[in-house]
Amino acid sequence: MATESEDVDKLRRASGTRRRQLKGRLFEAALLGATLVGIVSLLVLFGYTAFDAFRPLTASAQWYLLYFGTLVTPTAAFTWYARRNPAVRAANAKAFAVVFGALAVSLLTYVVADSVSPYDVLLYLLFGTVPPLLVGLYARITDERTYSGPAIPVAAVLGLAVAALLYDVLRPLVGIAAQWVAYFGITTLPVAGILGVVVARRWSPRRGITAAAAVLVSTLLVAGGLLAAGIDPSFWVVLFSAFAVPVGYVVGSTVVTESDGRAGVLGPFVLVGGALAGAALERQLAIEGLESYLTPTLLLNSWDGLTASNAGVYPQIVGSVVVVGFMAVLAFPVGIGAAIYLEEYAPNSGWGGRLATLLEVNISNLAGVPSVVYGLLGLALFRNALGFGTGIVVSAAGTLGLLILPIVVVSAQEAVRSVPDSLRQASYGMGASRWQTLRNVVLPESVPGVLTGTILALARAIGETAPLVIIAVATTTYTPPSGLFSSATALPLQIFAASANAKPEFRHGVVPAAAVVLLVLMLLMNTTAIVVRNRYEREY
Amino acid sequence: MDEEDSAPTIETTVTASDQSAERPSTSSTGRTVIEARDLSVYYGQERALDEVSIPILDKQVTAMIGPSGCGKSTFLRSINRMNDLIDAAHIDGELYFEGENVYDDDIDPVALRRRIGMVFQHPNPFPKSIYDNVAYGLRVQDRTDNMDQRVETALKRAALWDEVKDQLDKSALDLSGGQQQRLCIARAIAVDPDVVLMDEPASALDPIATSKIEDLIEELAEEFTVVIVTHNMQQAARISDKTAVFLTGGELVEYGDTDQIFENPEHQRVEDYITGKFG
Repeated sequence: MATESEDVDKLRRASGTRRRQLKGRLFEAALLGATLVGIVSLLVLFGYTAFDAFRPLTASAQWYLLYFGTLVTPTAAFTWYARRNPAVRAANAKAFAVVFGALAVSLLTYVVADSVSPYDVLLYLLFGTVPPLLVGLYARITDERTYSGPAIPVAAVLGLAVAALLYDVLRPLVGIAAQWVAYFGITTLPVAGILGVVVARRWSPRRGITAAAAVLVSTLLVAGGLLAAGIDPSFWVVLFSAFAVPVGYVVGSTVVTESDGRAGVLGPFVLVGGALAGAALERQLAIEGLESYLTPTLLLNSWDGLTASNAGVYPQIVGSVVVVGFMAVLAFPVGIGAAIYLEEYAPNSGWGGRLATLLEVNISNLAGVPSVVYGLLGLALFRNALGFGTGIVVSAAGTLGLLILPIVVVSAQEAVRSVPDSLRQASYGMGASRWQTLRNVVLPESVPGVLTGTILALARAIGETAPLVIIAVATTTYTPPSGLFSSATALPLQIFAASANAKPEFRHGVVPAAAVVLLVLMLLMNTTAIVVRNRYEREY
Repeated sequence: MDEEDSAPTIETTVTASDQSAERPSTSSTGRTVIEARDLSVYYGQERALDEVSIPILDKQVTAMIGPSGCGKSTFLRSINRMNDLIDAAHIDGELYFEGENVYDDDIDPVALRRRIGMVFQHPNPFPKSIYDNVAYGLRVQDRTDNMDQRVETALKRAALWDEVKDQLDKSALDLSGGQQQRLCIARAIAVDPDVVLMDEPASALDPIATSKIEDLIEELAEEFTVVIVTHNMQQAARISDKTAVFLTGGELVEYGDTDQIFENPEHQRVEDYITGKFG
């Protein structure tokens, strides 16, 4: 039939089809172009900074050959080997995570405790954790559940309050102990406790106790040995219990339990060993290495505005970490709490509903307010209204906290909203109260999303400069902050200030090197959050 | 109106703790467990249920059938006050459970839901282990003694034990759809409710899984009062003792023995619906 042949004809390509296809391809190409513009310009920017920071042209060819032999080739070969076997790859990833995670945790603990005073940290740690632990223990023994849940945070807050009130009495008491004993209390005790619980859950309570005792005794032995040799064991106590112990546990248990993938744990050791071997040979053979400003001096010295080779950003790194850490303590509970209220409790209809909608719209708008304005707000609130000093940790952390609060609220709201309603209904249908539903179903499900929001917020906060300038965070602070009310300085601020330095070696050497440090710091924070998030997502 | 006077006045309180004592020891078929009197439900201005009066008898399967949007699910959700979770919902009339009007001001909906379990249309296990899913109700109700035993019993009663007994710590989301729905049933009956409400429990499942669920419902009726909403008239005819037919506008048109409804309905509209002329 005629109609049939017409239909068949329509399936064949005609002149119009080609034009349509061309249009489609052009559109696709335009999208690809847009993607490339963004990525390529970012790569150029990073390449430019990295070139100035590392100064690759200053090194000799021998230097490249040396590290190619000791570091690049073995690591690449091992990675290639590990990729082929999933068990090896998993063990490799685990070993990398524990080595670098534990290294970051132990260094951070030592650096913060060292600048704040280990005795203070120990005091607040004891009073902040022992009361809630006792309440938890009491609840477990007596099987009392109604009041123990809310009592645990109350006990922690009360403990901290008692420590703050009786600080003048308690501090000298804690101060009797030697400094390394304080570090022992800050790191070794928690590590022993956590390891004990982990081992007890995985194998048996008896083994858990043995593991915890082994940690304590071996750390004491290390400290005793160093004391006998006349070395202050403070740093080594932290490094041993917060780095060597977890690495030893994870690597050891992987080697014992994963017979297929045990070779994977060698990954980080190949990398670190290669770097160390390269450094040793470099010194031995007197090979001309990179002449960059990205050196231990930069990481460990305080600022020197006159000699570039002597300038360091140690106080800035510690300041940034302490400010952002305290900001997280202030802003995340408030932001997540507000998000939960708006999503789960706030009314949907009537005047209350309209008020809630108004609040939500305004919070979204606040997320876009320029950070300079937040600086002014911080100045007005923390210095003028509350009478705090300018440029101190509390003011800086509070200002940055206000800045990221809307981001935290909006992203946490998104996360809470994404929990399917059917799960809430199932929980209510089982006779769960609203609080039980929230705690057992909604919150665990929204943790990954909430963490994604906190990643964004942290990344934004650690790079903020303008509000810190407004609240007068000084670049002339040469020591890390020693407490919440001591003046702090921050890495992005120092980069901003140094970029105006008259000497070119600052502008083209120290500044890019410090920028790389800032980027690495941000990446470390993000990596931690991503690892935690992935762990939660994998669970079920 | 004499509804207040004629309301059954069995002395019971709706609490979770003493529920085992309240349960009748002998199977007394014909005793009214739930009774709706002129129950209307509004969503905003829209009336979803129109003055429904119906008794639901102990240890029987009562099926609610009717076309989409006829209010049968709304009725089911008003029994355990799940409609409370919708801000715009508003209720008129009374609904008695064991002689208590569940819409009285001093009734705690949480305690009510502990005695009236619910299974939903789409399987909605928690993203937790199989064990934790079944134990969820026991945990939120603080009944953590003999937990392993209770979980095992619930899974056996839901005819799921043999399939999952070796993987209780696996994620419930790894189960098939039919297994997930039986897990939801196990979760609902683990806390020993008096009544189990089922909102189209088999509509998202394949025929084999559906027939398993149907067998299960018939068994459950030996121990529980079951109220089931279904689209599927053959299913209602197969498994229910009593049937209620809702037609458009949230109106309960006919209620009676299932055999009678399907063979000799009183109303022409019901006959049209059942024979497929309408709906």
